[in-house]
Amino acid sequence: MDQMPETRRSLLLRIRDPGDDEAWTEFLEIYQPLIYRFARRKGFQHADAEELTQEALIAVASAIERWDPDPRRGTFRGWLFRIARNMMINFLTRARPGEKATGGTDFHRLLQQQPAADGQSTVEFVREYRREVFCWAAREIHGEFQDVTWQAFWQTAVAGHPIAETARQLGMSVGAVYAARSRIMARLRRKAKQVEGQ
Amino acid sequence: MIHSRSDCRPEQLQKALDSRLPADDEAELLRHLDTCDTCRRQLESLAADADDWADVREFLSGREPWEDRPDGADRTHETQNQDSINTAADRPQRLDFLAPTDDPAMLGRLGPYEVQGVIGWGGMAVVLRAYDRSLNRNVAVKVLSPQLATSGPARQRFAREAQAAAAVVHEHVVPIHAVSEAGGLPYLVMTYVPGRSLQQRIDQAGPLTVAEILRIGMQTAAGLAAAHAQGLVHRDVKPANILLENGVERAMIADFGLARAADDASLTRSGIIAGTPHYMAPEQAEGQPADHRADLFSLGGVMYAMGTGHPPFRAETALAVLRRICQQPPRPIRQINPEIPDWLAAVVEKLLAKDPSDRFQSAAEVAELLGRYLAHFQHPTAVPAPRKVAVRRGAAGRTKKPLWHHRPQLAWLASALAAAVGVSALLYFGPWFSYDEPSAGSPPVAPAPPRASDGQGLSPAAVFELTRGSFDRQQWETDVDQVRRRIAELEATFHQVPEPRSGQVWAEGVSQLQQQLDELRRQLDDHSL
Repeated sequence: MDQMPETRRSLLLRIRDPGDDEAWTEFLEIYQPLIYRFARRKGFQHADAEELTQEALIAVASAIERWDPDPRRGTFRGWLFRIARNMMINFLTRARPGEKATGGTDFHRLLQQQPAADGQSTVEFVREYRREVFCWAAREIHGEFQDVTWQAFWQTAVAGHPIAETARQLGMSVGAVYAARSRIMARLRRKAKQVEGQ
Repeated sequence: MIHSRSDCRPEQLQKALDSRLPADDEAELLRHLDTCDTCRRQLESLAADADDWADVREFLSGREPWEDRPDGADRTHETQNQDSINTAADRPQRLDFLAPTDDPAMLGRLGPYEVQGVIGWGGMAVVLRAYDRSLNRNVAVKVLSPQLATSGPARQRFAREAQAAAAVVHEHVVPIHAVSEAGGLPYLVMTYVPGRSLQQRIDQAGPLTVAEILRIGMQTAAGLAAAHAQGLVHRDVKPANILLENGVERAMIADFGLARAADDASLTRSGIIAGTPHYMAPEQAEGQPADHRADLFSLGGVMYAMGTGHPPFRAETALAVLRRICQQPPRPIRQINPEIPDWLAAVVEKLLAKDPSDRFQSAAEVAELLGRYLAHFQHPTAVPAPRKVAVRRGAAGRTKKPLWHHRPQLAWLASALAAAVGVSALLYFGPWFSYDEPSAGSPPVAPAPPRASDGQGLSPAAVFELTRGSFDRQQWETDVDQVRRRIAELEATFHQVPEPRSGQVWAEGVSQLQQQLDELRRQLDDHSL
């Protein structure tokens, strides 16, 4: 944690509440790899993708000025993920390798000029976003479960091993494996929902 | 045993997912799930729909997400320095801007320089190790990232940085030899300093000795003084940017990567905060204009790190670090390393003052003072010790403009609060009255004159004078309690104000005060006033 992306003062002023700080950290954990990877997939070189990522994060940070802290309008987290998702779909699905994002303001102008994103890329982005959210949620909840419970989930739901075989290896009953994998799955869904911003 | 459908208790499935099932029922259900396919399917669809199950398999397979971050998550946009040597190999290297060379030992040519390798990559530039044939010496060449070379503002920033840094000629600043351009890429040429950075030194060997802290602190301060004399603020002083030359371990400040002319308002006003937060000054962290005294705060952080092995403000996240920088005093250096003499601790503490006006006012002054301490430390009998510096201790948070200033209808509340602010400020500033007076020959380190707090009402000193007669522990306790009661009253009153947002603003203000008071109480205990 030696480095931080450039962060607007407004963000620092805004994020005084530890709950908001946490939301912002979540946001970075999910969006930083997401934008980078999405850009790479679209043909950006490493350095360009990094540059784009930074520009995009700064743009979202600068939009924080517009956040209305009225509790009736929802949480900071909900707002942050909603606006970030929309901005990213708008931008990333239009951006092409070779286009330069040259600064926060230009980026903003670009965002405003963009018409609706093309359908194919939007679908791709939503999918990538979901991927990142799931991975993040898995990281987050992993520590909440005993290793054997986690293994029951991982071996069967992710690695695709047969349930009976996994039960034998882990010394659990088949019923316990079913319960374990479903319990973790439910928890994962709940965690992911926190930030899915749908 | 085969279950009939009548054994199924679907209402228990949701409870099982939420871990709300009593142990007996749970055991029963697990036994049931051993065989009942209907309930298994129902449990799974309660947990997540089929798409989710499919996605989990696709998304998570091949990744061990709890063990390490996915590729890209920890990519950073660091300023380049020699610490990046180790990571240089991991980064994709785009060196296609180099011209071909005849020498098989070299990577390529850039202008007149033969490039030997990559020292580091940063967000803005790549630093190459190169050989200058004409002068027969090694150099470090910092090239603006090819991706940025097409951007006007980045080129300007780079050029400005290069010109500014080249103007500083000092034995404790890495010299800039040339600023040039090749194939459309601007670059600057620096002396190659063989050695390691102070960060590497601390990482490898832990806290430094008092003599080393004094020497490196003094040299760094001297280098900063030279830059400040040119109107330059480094803005990113940290152990990784201080190079220790092989052999003599002469300290040299590197990477004026963020240095900007102090009068360059256009860039400093943009409000973008860049840099490593651990050593950042509070005014930088808050996005306010930072002058040369920000470097002094960072120097204090560097000296703290030399004495303890780690930066003064640490936290889980960068934002939490910034918050601590702005709001909390560092843990006293002597609590971590009792071998640090109290006079050195006082110097570091004064450098780390939240308010720039409470710090030393110039790097030259710091260099001079550290030099005298070093002389005394090495020859205690021959050289008298300088007087210990006065520190205004305990200003844990910079006094903020009260939020309620913006709300005229709440003006009456402000006056009541002013009392609270006054008393708390008094409690904060109390201890410095007992510090040594500076001698006539020592640098001007007298405590700043008492001033009105940013809040309304009495200055701390005025309140001090008023209450001097009753300066005893019990009285403080009473005062604190009184303030606390007053806050509670204010809070209660305020909640009757209809507007919902004012509630939040107010709560913030009050909780800040509350924190201050808690801190006061702690200090009171510490100092046994």
